[in-house]
Amino acid sequence: MNRRERALKALQIEEPDAVPITELEIDVPHMETLTGKPFTSEAAPQTPVSADRRMEAVKVEIKAQCYGKLEFDVITCDLSAPDGWKTVKNPDETITDEWGRVSIYDSRCKTWFPYRSIFQTPEDFESFLFPDVHAPGRTFAIEYVKKIVRDEMALAGVIRDPFALLWEMLTPINFVRWMYEKPQLIKRTIDKLTKFNLEIIKRLADVGVDFIISTGDYCEKKGPMVPVKYFREVIFPCLKKQVETSHKKELKFIKHTDGNINPLLDDLANIVDGLHSLDPSAGVYIGEVKTKYGDKLVLMGNVAVDSLARKSKKEVVEETKECIRRASPGGGHFLTSSNSWYTDAKLENCLAMVKTGRKHGKYPISV
Amino acid sequence: MGIDIQQSLNGIKNMVSELAGVDDIKNVVVKALSSGVNPIDMVDAMSKGLEEVGERYEKGEYFLSELIMAGILASEIANILKPHLEKSAEKPAGKVVIGTVKGDLHDIGKNIVIAMLSSAGFRIVDLGIDVPPENFVDAVKREKPDILGMSCLLTIAMNEMRTVIDKLKEVNLRGGIKVMVGGRPITPQFAEEIGADAYGSNAAEAVKIAKALIRRGGYA
Repeated sequence: MNRRERALKALQIEEPDAVPITELEIDVPHMETLTGKPFTSEAAPQTPVSADRRMEAVKVEIKAQCYGKLEFDVITCDLSAPDGWKTVKNPDETITDEWGRVSIYDSRCKTWFPYRSIFQTPEDFESFLFPDVHAPGRTFAIEYVKKIVRDEMALAGVIRDPFALLWEMLTPINFVRWMYEKPQLIKRTIDKLTKFNLEIIKRLADVGVDFIISTGDYCEKKGPMVPVKYFREVIFPCLKKQVETSHKKELKFIKHTDGNINPLLDDLANIVDGLHSLDPSAGVYIGEVKTKYGDKLVLMGNVAVDSLARKSKKEVVEETKECIRRASPGGGHFLTSSNSWYTDAKLENCLAMVKTGRKHGKYPISV
Repeated sequence: MGIDIQQSLNGIKNMVSELAGVDDIKNVVVKALSSGVNPIDMVDAMSKGLEEVGERYEKGEYFLSELIMAGILASEIANILKPHLEKSAEKPAGKVVIGTVKGDLHDIGKNIVIAMLSSAGFRIVDLGIDVPPENFVDAVKREKPDILGMSCLLTIAMNEMRTVIDKLKEVNLRGGIKVMVGGRPITPQFAEEIGADAYGSNAAEAVKIAKALIRRGGYA
């Protein structure tokens, strides 16, 4: 059983030979350390910032090398900017992406993060020229990574959740204000972003991804970011459409979200095929989720990112064993951190998580 | 007249706690002002409404969006009342210098805290993101706040909070202010370990704590 087959088996909620291991993302400094290669292009996991295909190819090669070196079973890949996209550089050294999100460069993580918006009023937003989903080049990186990893690793195409994208496009305060004052504008835009994603999912299927991961948080530490009712009326119907489109293309659909998702779990279990991250710092315990939904949900998680950053190697080993003990029996479990390998994670802890996963993740689980 | 005033004030409190429309709440406030309701009493009613929203958020009855919306409503009310409050020489609830520590560019949590604190009547000096320790110290020297608030999302940046507190001690500024910290990786234990006075796990709690710190005065 190769790594891709292992991942595909786990996606069917069956037991492969071993628990597949991966990460949603690895911050650039860790990738540089692991591969010994400098990451000369700019990274931005939440938005494509450049359509320089030469640099993008180098970036993809380094990531593939890094995931290969770690013997990960799945490699994730984001969408690319369309052909010809020119990064909009602002005088204050920020950049504006295709979606109107203004990002700032974090030199420690070597990554751009969205933190502002070009939209100040609903009128600004109404006149915004929506990105063209049919613009060529959006799957450049995914096609390239597919060529590199062939069928050795499973390939997850990463898309951005419409709610989360709009939350960032408007900033939380404007999103909330307009959600109350201009509910139709918000709903209409989430619908529009969903249609965008439906087309993207079809294109990702054509490229040959093995499954979809939809990023963007639904919850914060205390609970859902908007009322559960709003999820049921506006957000979940859109999520369902994306899952249905994925299924028509025979792709499983995994939803990533941080935070306390407990109030949404019943709904999510009936919509998506799996959940990524299962944030223990927000009171989401993988064993409990496994007991309740293990027959219908693939679970990807959940060694706490805070443990990777602050705890000892020994403690991380124990946490990883516990995670495998609770979530792996019966299959359908991918060992990952509770988000990504951030710059602040100790690399020795990350590697201890992987090593423990390889050692104790063999089926039948006996840890 | 007394009954009308009380009704108006209850109305404002309830409109904030039940998240009425912005225009509706503005109309009620303007009408109350023209009927001679004391703006200070209106601020008090608004604060009670905000407290109720905070409590419902803590209980899981309200969600982050409702917390943010209550902050927006309160800030709309505050904008209408501000000129009248200046006339009645109302003092702000306190002054807060706040920023995201060096090495961290995240400001969503900080901005929500700012919106809630402003709504609750605090005067805010926002230092922004990626703030070096010296800038925090300079701002404390310059602004003489009651409270210094520090936020961060990245574990890698959290020790900057300790550096700021140590630098404040070095220049003998620590004694005059309260230090409040918050952000995803911060725990009450960490806050205590670095010598902060308080830790807030969310914006609603931050307001409650800020008020308590001001009431207490001096060192906690």
